Amino acid sequence: MSESLYRDILKDHMHHQRFAGRLEPADLKAVVHNPLCGDELELTIVLGGDPSEGAQRPIQEARNQVRACSICVASASLMGESIQGLSLEEANNLGTTFREAMETGELPDSPPEFLPPLMAIRKHKSRIRCAALAWNALEECTQQVTNPKSEG
Amino acid sequence: MRSLLEARSDFPILKRVIHGHPLVFLDNAATTQKPQPVLNALLEFLTHSNANIHRGVYQLSEDASDAYEKARQAVAGFIGVKDSRRVVFTRGTTESINLVAQSWLRPRLQAGDRIVLTEMEHHSNQIPWQLVAQERQAELDYVSITDSGELELNHLEKLLAQRPRLLAVTAVSNVLGTINPLETILDLAQRYEVPVMVDAAQAVGRIPLEDWAERCDFLAFSGHKLYGPTGIGVLCGRFDRLDEMSPWQGGGGMIAKVGRQSSSWAAIPARLEAGTPPIAEAVALQAAIEYVQQWGVPKIRQHEQELVAHALNRLAEEPDVTVYGPSQASKRTGVVSFDLEGVHPHDVAQILDETGIAVRAGHHCTQVLHERLGVRATVRLSMALYNTLEEIDSAVSALANVRKVFS
Repeated sequence: MSESLYRDILKDHMHHQRFAGRLEPADLKAVVHNPLCGDELELTIVLGGDPSEGAQRPIQEARNQVRACSICVASASLMGESIQGLSLEEANNLGTTFREAMETGELPDSPPEFLPPLMAIRKHKSRIRCAALAWNALEECTQQVTNPKSEG
Repeated sequence: MRSLLEARSDFPILKRVIHGHPLVFLDNAATTQKPQPVLNALLEFLTHSNANIHRGVYQLSEDASDAYEKARQAVAGFIGVKDSRRVVFTRGTTESINLVAQSWLRPRLQAGDRIVLTEMEHHSNQIPWQLVAQERQAELDYVSITDSGELELNHLEKLLAQRPRLLAVTAVSNVLGTINPLETILDLAQRYEVPVMVDAAQAVGRIPLEDWAERCDFLAFSGHKLYGPTGIGVLCGRFDRLDEMSPWQGGGGMIAKVGRQSSSWAAIPARLEAGTPPIAEAVALQAAIEYVQQWGVPKIRQHEQELVAHALNRLAEEPDVTVYGPSQASKRTGVVSFDLEGVHPHDVAQILDETGIAVRAGHHCTQVLHERLGVRATVRLSMALYNTLEEIDSAVSALANVRKVFS
């Protein structure tokens, strides 16, 4: 029920999105859409370290420009908090954790902090896509580093 | 004669309780619920009469073939078309339009040709044309709409004067509810000798089609938006247009004689119905048509008019609500799309669902239209013969809950 879906922690992130906006210039950029509603999210990332480190480079700064529903905004905000300072690969692994939890409904042992409040979304299958949008953008950014050819 | 208020009891699903509240189903532009006679027809056919059609000499197969062809006649009669050979059964509106795009337009389309659509088309009356246009380097033109959500007929005429290969236009907008002036549009198209494909998915069962259906080169609709089952739809074409179509899909039932290198084709409509068709669904579609005829389309139209007028009045009282489409109820079917300031349509629909109210949120497969309206998504209430004024009231009142969560 929405009571739990729109509970306090999510509500807080809905109304006060963290790490909102866009970085210019950025090392990585991905624009993703939710085909259900046309919502749009742009993720821009500035990396630290050296290009030779590939996906091990730390995320110095990440920003989400979101034109979407509250679930998408809250999820992007939570992601922004969680990935700051992590390497690109570590951050993207959190996305995998998110997707697995959404699929199985089970939280991993010692789950990342952002995940428990999002579990209520599982009852509303159509909204998982809203919450996944930010993580999909991060996956696309990661692929630009790990598999640059596929990104033209 | 029964009053439409009694119709609710014909629809078992309307007794369902969702999250502790009675279901208020206001997503009828997406699909309609099924009355008991339609459910019975499906079950009875599968229980007593099931066999493949046009293939067996045994009694059961003959019966099934008869039932399938009777359904075809029922469709023709319902939309006022005399020759039932003009009715081709498909899986739905989308397949009907793709069939015309692939089988009729594609072989006739040359580089530089134009196809005219409108800004209010559903993706299913846009993408099939885009696919063939891209392949053949043809151009798509879009008839503009006014700020009140009606077609700019001057613009339409200007585009028709360029002699496009086809005009594809919806009879009723699935977002704005706008009823397009089909008779005027067909007159214009005739003047410039432009064939017309009409998407009647949102019109069938809601407004009378028989005044103009016979004049359309092609007309498509789905069974499931007419209180019938999914998986069955109709393409009604002018006979000569259908007859000049080569098959799109090959298979059983559509051949005259098959050789190793080449074959010849069955007559229309079988030529365009490859494979085993949705037989039980066709039979149930006939039951749906008979159910609608029992009330009569004008009576259903009048009821939806009252509902939509009420919805427009109620929403006009809400200062943070923007309604799209014609302000006069008489220009609409029972469809109202709106935006609640500051809240994403998905979130509105989610909160409404908490009290059992089913509405649609999103772009409703009309991204070009939403771009024109300047919004990414909208909330849509869409009504059917079984909805009540009280249900409209509860949907509008539930907006207060939405504001509470998002204030």
